[in-house]
Amino acid sequence: MTLSVRLAGTAALGVLATVPVAAQRAAPTTWAITGARLVPVSGPPIASGTLVVREGRIAALGAGVRAPADARTIDGTGLTIYPGLIDAAGTLGQRSATGGGGGGGGGAAVAAPATGTATRPAGLRPETDVLDALVTDGFDGPHGAGITAALTAPTGGLFQGRSAVIALRSDETAKMVVRTPVALHVAFQGVRGAFPGSLLGVFAEFRQQLLDAKRYGAMQAAAAANPRGTARPALDASLEALQPVLAGTMPVAFNASSEREIHRALDLAAEFKLRAMIVGGQEAWKVADRLRTMNVPVIQSLNFPKKPTNVAADADPEPVRVLRTRVESPAGPAKLAAAGVRMAFASGGASWTDHLGNLRATVKAGLAAEAALRAHTLGAAELLGVADRLGSLEVGKVANLTVVRGDLFSDSAKVTHVFVDGTPRTLDTARPAPAGGRGAGAARAASLTGTWTVTVALEGKEYAITLQLTQVESKLTGTMQGALGTAEITQGELTGEGEFRFTAPVTVREGTEEGVFVGVLTGNAVRGGLSIVGHALGRFSGTRPGPAGDAPRGAGRTRPSTMP
Amino acid sequence: MRLPMLAAALVAAAPVAAQAPTTLIKNATVLTVSRGTLANTDVLLRGGKIAAIGQNLAAPAGATTIDATGKYVMPGIIDPHSHLMSDAINEGSLSVTSMVRIADVLNPTDRGIYRAAAGGVTTINILHGSANTIGGQNATVKLKPGRTVQEMLVPGAPPGIKFALGENVTRKNSSTVIVQGQSPAPRRYPTSRMGQAEVLRDAFTRAKAYRAEWTDYRARTARGEKGLVPPRTDLELEPLVEVLEGRRLVHAHSYRADEMLMLLNLADEFGFKIQTLQHGLEGYKIASEIAKHGAGLSSFADSWSYKIEAYDAIPHNVAILLRKGVNATINSDSDERIRRLNIDAARLVRYGDLTEEEALRIITLNGAIQLGIEQRTGSLDIGKDADLAIWTAHPLSVYARVETTFADGEVTFDRARDLAAREALAAERKALEAKEGSR
Repeated sequence: MTLSVRLAGTAALGVLATVPVAAQRAAPTTWAITGARLVPVSGPPIASGTLVVREGRIAALGAGVRAPADARTIDGTGLTIYPGLIDAAGTLGQRSATGGGGGGGGGAAVAAPATGTATRPAGLRPETDVLDALVTDGFDGPHGAGITAALTAPTGGLFQGRSAVIALRSDETAKMVVRTPVALHVAFQGVRGAFPGSLLGVFAEFRQQLLDAKRYGAMQAAAAANPRGTARPALDASLEALQPVLAGTMPVAFNASSEREIHRALDLAAEFKLRAMIVGGQEAWKVADRLRTMNVPVIQSLNFPKKPTNVAADADPEPVRVLRTRVESPAGPAKLAAAGVRMAFASGGASWTDHLGNLRATVKAGLAAEAALRAHTLGAAELLGVADRLGSLEVGKVANLTVVRGDLFSDSAKVTHVFVDGTPRTLDTARPAPAGGRGAGAARAASLTGTWTVTVALEGKEYAITLQLTQVESKLTGTMQGALGTAEITQGELTGEGEFRFTAPVTVREGTEEGVFVGVLTGNAVRGGLSIVGHALGRFSGTRPGPAGDAPRGAGRTRPSTMP
Repeated sequence: MRLPMLAAALVAAAPVAAQAPTTLIKNATVLTVSRGTLANTDVLLRGGKIAAIGQNLAAPAGATTIDATGKYVMPGIIDPHSHLMSDAINEGSLSVTSMVRIADVLNPTDRGIYRAAAGGVTTINILHGSANTIGGQNATVKLKPGRTVQEMLVPGAPPGIKFALGENVTRKNSSTVIVQGQSPAPRRYPTSRMGQAEVLRDAFTRAKAYRAEWTDYRARTARGEKGLVPPRTDLELEPLVEVLEGRRLVHAHSYRADEMLMLLNLADEFGFKIQTLQHGLEGYKIASEIAKHGAGLSSFADSWSYKIEAYDAIPHNVAILLRKGVNATINSDSDERIRRLNIDAARLVRYGDLTEEEALRIITLNGAIQLGIEQRTGSLDIGKDADLAIWTAHPLSVYARVETTFADGEVTFDRARDLAAREALAAERKALEAKEGSR
């Protein structure tokens, strides 16, 4: 029973006037959960008590609280009530750009308006607002993982746009919005078919647009100060949207995962005196000192890299670095906490059924359970500017609750209920929640994660290579080994349904050049093209181990006996 | 083949000492490159510099002493053309991308750093690719595994920029991948050498106008005019103004004599200098013209016919250029060849009759001059950076291999250490696999 009200710019007002009758039917607004363990986060736990919800707010909580006579009562015996978990970054509540779950989709998720004031291509528009893309569905998975609110941000390109904190409620998009705008989201990604087309251009475009915004701000200020004596400067929606960023009133959330990406983000933040946040942060712990010194918080993705299943017998062994990364990643949050870096947790596009396991992995790797819980509740609310409303069990705060049988950090715990804005949802714990980052119950799109045995045909020669790929949301990382040299892949991303691209330095014939791999994933097979400046187009095809029949015949199975 | 790679990863992860250690290399054959060969000579490295060269030097307190009897010490190899450490090489979307900077996209954890150090390389010029006529800004880097990008950038190295001429820019031989459902990228101007000349002329005409705009603004501000809005800061044109003013070095990818002549003439017309012609396989045809302009040239040792522009390549190219007064070098342009530039240099003794010192200079001092860092590196002279390698035999011999490499006095490769690290690395792999398996 989900209601898809799409809020589309100024047309939204008209849409909101036609709320269906079903949504207006009176529902109980007073609830009491009795005899439960309460973990307020802002204060010490209460071994057994009652929590009362009234009109969407927490009306009372404590050991001596009695359920009001008009309340619907839930027997809380054996249950623990936590503040509703907050997914501190992601794309929840947006229509999927690619139709599949999980992925962020390389293209701009927020459709670019065909008219209006935009003068730059999609992906270079800081004025993009996530509100234009909100939908009310896709919350089964997150609810099953105890998520009640989320930061949702546009995706695609470099200047991705402005995010909002939303409550995961399925009635009206306008009622979802808790706070907007929260941050300008930036990723080190180019745009298709235009400048910047590569990581190189991304930095130049970032600098140029911020420099232009500074000058634009000065010109606007001069015109405002002297409206009669100055020609009116033309409106530039992008440069206008950058003003609060330059003024330091709006944070810039950089998607940055590896150590060097985080350094690059911090370099830009220092260069332009920006209030930065790091989103992703797989290797943030390696930059902990600098993050603390610059007082930059981390929205840590809990989607830790997983060991690939079904590795081909003839695949090269995984580089030690890859092994290290997998073992070290869940311990990252503990190191960040020890270093005093402010931190919030995000699901990072992992399967929702894995999410709480990922959260527990941080505790097993050394993070205090209290710190882990805080990073997913009050700590996240503080970073997102909603700590006055969300994040803890306190009288007057929004009744977002995550109710768990057992302790959240024990492997056997089950989420039994979530309350979003005071409205409960009982979860059928017998049925696993559907996977996927967004889209109602959408099956998780096929992932490129794995070890691929690939043959590249280039100018009459064949080269056998092994690709170790890890896909996290729409981002692709990994290594290349074999006859084209050993290298890390960069700028890897999913560009559409099963379509991917990445670059890697390829050593072929007389030199090392940049190779751009663009391909399509079908089951356990990949195929596509390889373009290298100065060379004819190459073709590649490959497979990873999997059920028989998935791989096209002959793909990637031949390995030349001689290595060039 | 697998083990050295693993060892590289381990050593790369362990940061070298924060303070450059003091090292005394005893009794080596020292190939200074600038002042001949010194037999049975000691070299003292202190504070990251070459502190002393002489016989029977006393080891200062705390110094590590290396007995290099029977071994050779040569300056660290300089590769004037590399794409190592680059997370992106080409911004090929536009004909002019002078606004992009290689320094923004460097990967300090690239394993190639360690492998190059194992070949005695200490300094490289990391260039933008050759996809467009005016490419991005270069980075001059000392190869130090485990260090940050900031710690590797050579302080005070003059900034540079990549230009590219010829086939790669026309994209006649390149194709872009066409993905179903995506419109193919439009063909980008220019598609001929004529167009490349026009792109250069247009870009520098715009740069001159831009400079004039700022000059005018500064003059009016200096006269006391109030309320002026400063001109837009244009990150594309700023570096080209620096080229016009001689503050940024041009490294121009080019193969054929005609395109090189075009560029030299165009630079003369606009009043700037080409610092190096990169590749320049037909440079020998116009050696006098190159010498007259004052450009250097950085070539391959051979590479005949590896592409259409290389059909007239000859292995004597660098030797002829040197004899005509051009400061010439050879480069790798390859993450693989960079490890054996000494052998490429040795070819020039065979084919071009270079002296041994001349051959070593084309992979050391001449490169330092091309990068404008000859005051600090490129030869074994007191006061220069302690960039050098100890070789088991004369480095122009195929039997020679590197024992230890130093950059700024820090050990960046040590064969004994590498061998010792392999066992530890194998143990770490086992431990990691066990830890992961137990989850």
